[in-house]
Parts: sequence; C-alpha cells; structure tokens
Amino acid sequence: MLGEFEYILITAAAGLGNEAYGAAIRDEIETLAGRKCSIGALYTTIDRLEAKGLLRTWLGDATAERGGRAKRMVEVTPEGMQAAKDFYDTVTRISRGASWVTSRSGANPKETLS
Amino acid sequence: MSLSWICVDAASRLLTQEEREAVLGDLAEANENAGEALLSILGLVVRREAEHWKSWRPWVAAFGLALPASFPLMGLSVSVCWVFPKMLEATHSMQPQTSLVLFSFWHLIPELLMLTGFAFTGGFLVGSLSRRTLWASALACLGPCLYCFAHFRTESLSGLSLLLFLAPALWGVREAVRGKRIGSRTAIGMAVGWLRCRL
Repeated sequence: MLGEFEYILITAAAGLGNEAYGAAIRDEIETLAGRKCSIGALYTTIDRLEAKGLLRTWLGDATAERGGRAKRMVEVTPEGMQAAKDFYDTVTRISRGASWVTSRSGANPKETLS
Repeated sequence: MSLSWICVDAASRLLTQEEREAVLGDLAEANENAGEALLSILGLVVRREAEHWKSWRPWVAAFGLALPASFPLMGLSVSVCWVFPKMLEATHSMQPQTSLVLFSFWHLIPELLMLTGFAFTGGFLVGSLSRRTLWASALACLGPCLYCFAHFRTESLSGLSLLLFLAPALWGVREAVRGKRIGSRTAIGMAVGWLRCRL
C-alpha cells in the first residue's frame, strides 16, 4: 500500500496531467496539502514510485525561466492510479464512524444518528 | 557567479547528470536563493545516500568484507615483502643462479599469487556488492591501514609494504565496477589454486 506522501504526490501529478514535472508537482503539493515539500523528499519519492512502476518519468524540454535546464516530466501509470484509488478507498472505509469525520452538510454522522 | 552559487554548482555535481539538470532547473524556476538551493541539493544527496544504506549490501561490503579483510591482506603484503631480504640472503650464501630460481619458485611466487588472488577477489566482491557506496568501503579498509601504517616499526621494511595488496584490490574493484562477472568454473579454479599455493 502507498504511504501518505506517495499518495499526495501521485494525486498532485495526476491532477497536473501533461504539465506534471518536478517544480510544478512541488508547488501543487505545497498549495493543496499546505505543507512544505523539499526537493530531496520529492525526487527520492518519485524514484521510489518509478521503481515500483507507479510513475513514469523522462527529461522534457528546457525553458528560459529554468535557465535552459530540462524538466523531469512525470506521468502516473495505470498501476499508479489503481494504487492511489486503493489507498483512497482504504482510508475512506476505515474512517467511517471516526469522530472527526463529518457528513457533507458539516454534521458528525454519529451525532446525526443519535 | 558568486561564491555561494559556485558551492551550489559543486554540490549539484554529486547528482547524476539528468537529475542535476532537473533539480537546478527546478531551483531556478522557484527563484530560490543560493543558501536554500544548497540545502535542497545537500538534502537530496543525503537522502539518496541513505536510500543505498537501506539494503544489506553496503553494510556487508564495508563492515563484513573491506574492514576485516584489510588485516589479513596487510599481513600477506608484509609476508610477500619479507621474502625479498630472505631471497637476497640466500643468493649471497648459495650458488646465485640456482638458489634464486628455487627460492623464487618456492616462496615468492606462491605468496604473490595468493596475495593477488585474495586482494583481487576481495576488491571484486566489494565492487560487485555495492558500487555506489565504494567510498564507505574504501574508508573501512583505509582506517586499519592508516593505523597499522602509523604503528609499523621494522628496520628492514618500509610501512608501505603493508599496502602492497591495494594494487590487486583496486584492480578487482575496477573490474567489478565495469560489470565483469566471474564464472563459477573460473572462481572454483582460482580458489583451488590459491589454496594449493597456501598448502
């Protein structure tokens, strides 16, 4: 099963689609998850996920704003999407009934039942 | 380029070419200052190194092979070097030509073969087990070497005689890093040959 940061990274990369590369994924994680993402954590996780076959990476085009350096493009493989879906389903399933889980209306389902 | 960016550039050379390209590009795009960039790169390098050490291979290569093998290999090196003064002594006391050939054959050649064989095999194993942590294996081997070198006191031999094994050991490491493989027949043949030399 995926780790929490692996799930966040796959979700961010999948959301960016064709624009998923190192710096963009890092921005996305920092914006959406609200947590600092170091380059070390990002690239070692990308490597680990690629070794597991959940991501595919290749060197993309260089741009002027990057000082003429190439981007490391990232694509989530079907296996990666399945692993993320499994993680999400598991977290959703085991979270049912937890006191911090609220319904869409904002009310706690346990309190609503009682 | 300022000194701090020269440091960033130097640190980035610890990464592979492709990764260096991507990481420096990301840092430029994020407009990070030199201090942050340096910390980011060093953080990545440390994480990369830590990933290697999750496997058993670098531990065995450094602390199971390089470190303990350095002691007998230094012993063998000194033993080979001891043969030379003995050989000179023998050539003076006996008939020069005959004694030299005989002495070389019975003492020097087997010792040399054994030293070369053990050192090459040790280097080859260390290189095959974990080529990415060779620096750690080298340190594990050099530690005892430097200690013994500093404490080696013999009139007829230089402390450098302890390090004779380094040449065949480095040769073995080089062959392993180049991806050479030793077949089982060759390995068994070498092992039997060395044991025969010893006996």
